[in-house]
This record gives sequence, structure tokens and C-alpha cells, in this order.
Amino acid sequence: MKFTVPIGPQHPALKEPISLRMTLDGEIIRDADIRLGYNHRGLEKLAEEKTWLQNIYLTERICGICSHSHTTCFTQGAEKLLEVEPPRRGLYVRFLIAELERVHSHLLWLGVAGHEAGFDTFFMYTWRDREVVMDILEILSGNRVHYSINTLGGVRRDVDELQKKKVLDSLDVLRQRSEYYFKIGATEPSFVARIAGVGRLSKEDAVALCAVGPTARASDIPQDVRKDDPYGVYAEVPFEVCTADTGDVLGRVVVRVKELMQSYNIIEFLLKNLPDGPIAVRSPRRAKPNEVVSRYEAPRGENIHYIKSNGSDKPERLKVRAPTLANYPATVAMLKNGYIADIPLIFAAIDPCVCCAERAVALVDGRSGQENVVLMSELRKQAQERWKKAPLKKDAVWPF
Amino acid sequence: MNDTEIIEKAKALLGDAILEASNPALRRIFLTVDPKDLVRTVEVLKKELGFAYVATISGLDSGENFEIIYHFGKPSSQLNLRTRVPKSNPHIESICAVIPGAILYERELQDMFGLVVDLIPDSRRLVLPDDWPAGNYPLRKDWKYERPVEKIPGGKS
Amino acid sequence: MLEKVVRWSRKKSPWILHLNSGACNACDIEVVAALTPRFDVERLGVLLKATPRHADVIISTGPVTRQIKDRIIRIYEQTPDPKFVIAVGACAMSGCVYRGAYNIMGGLDQVIPVNIYVPGCPARPDAILDGVVKLLGTL
Repeated sequence: MKFTVPIGPQHPALKEPISLRMTLDGEIIRDADIRLGYNHRGLEKLAEEKTWLQNIYLTERICGICSHSHTTCFTQGAEKLLEVEPPRRGLYVRFLIAELERVHSHLLWLGVAGHEAGFDTFFMYTWRDREVVMDILEILSGNRVHYSINTLGGVRRDVDELQKKKVLDSLDVLRQRSEYYFKIGATEPSFVARIAGVGRLSKEDAVALCAVGPTARASDIPQDVRKDDPYGVYAEVPFEVCTADTGDVLGRVVVRVKELMQSYNIIEFLLKNLPDGPIAVRSPRRAKPNEVVSRYEAPRGENIHYIKSNGSDKPERLKVRAPTLANYPATVAMLKNGYIADIPLIFAAIDPCVCCAERAVALVDGRSGQENVVLMSELRKQAQERWKKAPLKKDAVWPF
Repeated sequence: MNDTEIIEKAKALLGDAILEASNPALRRIFLTVDPKDLVRTVEVLKKELGFAYVATISGLDSGENFEIIYHFGKPSSQLNLRTRVPKSNPHIESICAVIPGAILYERELQDMFGLVVDLIPDSRRLVLPDDWPAGNYPLRKDWKYERPVEKIPGGKS
Repeated sequence: MLEKVVRWSRKKSPWILHLNSGACNACDIEVVAALTPRFDVERLGVLLKATPRHADVIISTGPVTRQIKDRIIRIYEQTPDPKFVIAVGACAMSGCVYRGAYNIMGGLDQVIPVNIYVPGCPARPDAILDGVVKLLGTL
């Protein structure tokens, strides 16, 4: 008999509210179902009543962790509609902040993954280093989150020599610390054994269910908008697309770690080759009737905005698809045939952002039809108990 | 394959089904088809041209029709497929048989516009709350919202 | 006499519950960043709890969406007395940029009574600490 457990929206750790219903058979999940809507704020309707410049501030607040990716995606599209071309120095500053945001987002995620796997020390260490990145961002833009550095036609603030030197010094510190952690993480057999083999997603499933970002790259699909459809300065900056071929949570950790090191290289390149010139140009207020599709590689995957204008100073239609929404069908496929105790880890592995939030899991027992609401924290405790007693998988290898 | 080659190959395989084709910018292709040719076109795009990844599906309210745009992607190109459905008969067929990952986007179209997607595997509500009154489709142009007056605690009201 | 001991223990060690009602996550990251070694709110005795039944203070972020309104009221009723509510961020105060949207009720005080408001978009962790300390000062 099947047991269904609803996981409701309030949960103690991070993330936003979503509701899951899992159908169980003992401890193994047979089916999962997701209810979104707790976070639906009616943004697309609001965007039709605000001007182009006001919409930059609105799209920034779609998400707090990847706010710069939404504004850059929108601004790129709006600049094409308004037919302005930002100057090269402006583009370099814009993508410098974009790579810094990628670094902070991946460090945040590493801390969360460590916390969900029971490795709290890792969580505290990575978040302490994240503070170094937040300091740099505050020096460059004035705020720790929601930098609002984009404007139509370029950026609002410039980078001077003293700031450049400070960023390069902090980059050395970050590189050294990152390499130390990854050495510890790679040779720590219990951490690797906990996350290997969990949440497996095969390559055919990832292609059929349209997964994006590191979730797809960990299943050996080299899909990265910065290489497939280069925008901004990425046609000139040398970097590589990072993939792994195991398709489980370990593969996703490896992909994000490799991307961190690539981002440090990109930031150094951008700072050393910063061209001279103005940082913004004036832009007109009205756009001719036209439509544009703008794509951007956010830390979690591909972010796509579709904007249509009708000749006035407000957009006619703005459609936003954030990357986490594209990973939901893949998550359901990953949860099937997994254990209840792995639910927090699998969810954390797709790096949930916009539509994901606190969840309480309601477990429904297939055999007796009884419902039993379990808090995510209790699930996490069960997960920690389980892996303490599990045998050490001595042959799990870190594919680094 | 660059953009012009893709358009020529699509025209060769689909013939009259393509009503319009345009290439306004590098790596952006726009094609228009009729709703009855939609599933066949998506199959051809997936098998012959390599567009197996649906980024999203946007709906537009343009007067007396709904326009639905399917955004596909593959390395080195991006294609947008448009169809028009009259408001008096808002039915469109689902492409989930060809590309299973499009299910969430079609559910959102049903919620926001009131379009009916035939043969959809799972037609529950996606983003609107459970106690939303039926028949209200927020993204239609003629739907307006009256805000109830807020009570400010400790203020005059 | 027992009253004094109880009041002293409440003031010295409030346990908090973190609630997210449809926010953009920036304020939530700042609340969690308050636990990390740079700001370290645990030295004040504050502990992040999982369930409303153990909590003294509810810290809530985000504008209230229609879907989550009933759940917030249920959580508020599950928390035992005496309880305090802190609304963090401009969204929880009045809705920030989302005022006027069809799915948003407004700030948190449309649904449950609030004791302290911490402004900012997002509110810095120092400001959140300041809000918690001011609340303890009124006890």
C-alpha cells in the first residue's frame, strides 16, 4: 500500500516555501509531487505598468541570491529594443560583478550542501569566506545584496585603481582558501561517501526533461549559455565549460567547485584588461514595437527573458523563466527510488532559488493510508543518524 | 549549421507548414506555423534539426488572438516557434509527448491565460493559490484588479 | 520572585523561528548570515529552532502572498505565549516593490500583530541584531 506524506511550507532552515507530497513504500519514495505558488507575486502583470527603468529595480527583486543575473538579462534585452549599445568599459564592469555574484552563490551553496550532509564546520568556513566576497561587492557597489549597478546603457559606478588592487588582493586570499577546502573535501571519505550515488539523473533523462545549469552539466551535457550563445564580453574571455559524468550530488559539487576556479580566472582577466572610456551612454525613453529574447547563464542555470514592446515607454509583455523552475521535473525524477532521508540533500543539490522555499514533508504511508507531517529538521536528523551507521564506501572516488 | 542553413532545411522538410520565417539577429530565428501543424513541426525540429531543449513557452494576449511562442535552444542557435490561437476557441495541443520537459510551462499557460491544452498529462493548477476564484485569468489584458483598502495598525482608518 | 527568574531567562536567551512568506531570499540569507562567524548572533543566546512550538520570537521576511496567509496564521497560533514578532525587510513592512500585485496582501501586519520592524532592502545582519536587542530591551 502507498503512504503519502505532505511536506508543508514552513521549514526551519533556509529556502522558501514549497509543498511536496511524496508517496512512499517503506522508506523508498515511489512518487513525488510539487505544489508551487507560495511565492507567486504576480510580477509579470506588475511589469506591464512600470517604465523600463523602474522595471530594472523590479526584476532585481525576483531573487536575492542571483539578483544581478535578472537585471542583466532584462537590461540586455531592453538595450536591444531601445537600440543603445553600452560602451566596453561598462560591459567589463557589468560582467565583473556578474562573476563575483557567481562566486558568492557557489560558496553559499557549498555551505548549504555541507550543512545538509551534516558537515557544519564546512558551512561555517565557506560562509566566512563568503563575507570576503560581500566586502568586495560592498566596496564596488554600495550594498551586500541587490547591487543595482545596471542602468539602461551601461553601469552606474566605476572601478578605480584602489578598488582594483583591493579586489586582486582578496582574490589571492580566496583562491588559497578554496584550494585548502577542496583538498579537505576531496580526501574526507565520509563526506564523499555520503553524497556519492545520491540523486542520480541519467543523461537521457536530463535531456528529455530539459534540465539546465550544473544539474545538467553533472550528467555530462556540456550546455552553457556563455559558450553556446555568447553575450557581453564572453566571446573574448578565455574559460572552459566544466562537466562531470557521475550524475549524482557528488558530480554537482565537483562541477560547482570547478566553476569557482574558472570564475577566479575570469575576474582576474577582466580586471587586468579593463579598457578605458565612459561607463554609460544616454538611452531614449521609448522603444519601437519589436520583440527580443535574452538569455543569461545564472549560477543555477539558464535564465531567459522574453520582452515585447509596443512603442510606448512601458513593456507590453515581460516573460521571465528562472532556472530553478526548469529543474523541477528533473528533481521529481531524481527523488523516485531514493530514500526519505536523502530528500534534503537532493533538494539542496539543484540549488533551489526562486520558487523553492521551506518545505515540510508530509509522508503518506502506502500501506495504511495514514498521514504524518514530519518537519524537514527531523528528516535531516534521521539522515544524519542513517549515515553515521552506514558502511564506509571506501571505493567512492572524487573525480577531480 | 548557421541560421540561414537551419531556415532552409526547415523549409525543405516542412514545406507549406511554415507561414513566416525571419532572422532578426545573430542566433535568433522566428518561425510561424498553424496550430494544427504544431506537433509535427516540433517532432521535425527535435529529430532532424537537433532542437531537443525547450527553454520556456510564453503566452501573449494580442487583441483577438492568443500568441504562443515556444523557445528552443541548441548549441550555436536559438529558435522561436510562434502559433496563433483565436480567443473564441482557445485550444492548443500539448507537446509533452515529444518533449516531456514542457509540462510545467503548459500548466502555467492554462493558469494565467485560460488556454486549454489538449492531451496534457497533468492539468492541475501550477502557480495560482487554491482559493483563487475560477474564471479569472490574470495575464489577459482585460483583467483588472481592485485592491482592497489596507488597515494600518495604529493609524487612522 | 519566580516571575523575576522567568523574565531574566526569557531576556537572556530567546529562541527564534525563521519564517519566509514569499520573499526574494535576500533577507533570509542575511538572517542566516547573522549566525555565521562574522556577526555571530549565538553569543547573545539566540538559537535557531525548527518548530514553532519551541520558539519565543518569530522572525518573518517577505510580503504575504494569498496562498501562505492561512499557514502563517496557523503557525502564529501554534507558538506558545508569550511570543513576539519581528518583521524584517521592506517587504514585510509594506510590500516593497510588490504593492499592488494581485497575489499580495501587503505587509505582515495585515495578518498577524507585529512588535518590531527592521527596515532595509535587504536589512543588514547588524540591523537585524539591533532589532533583536531592542526587543529584548523592552521585556
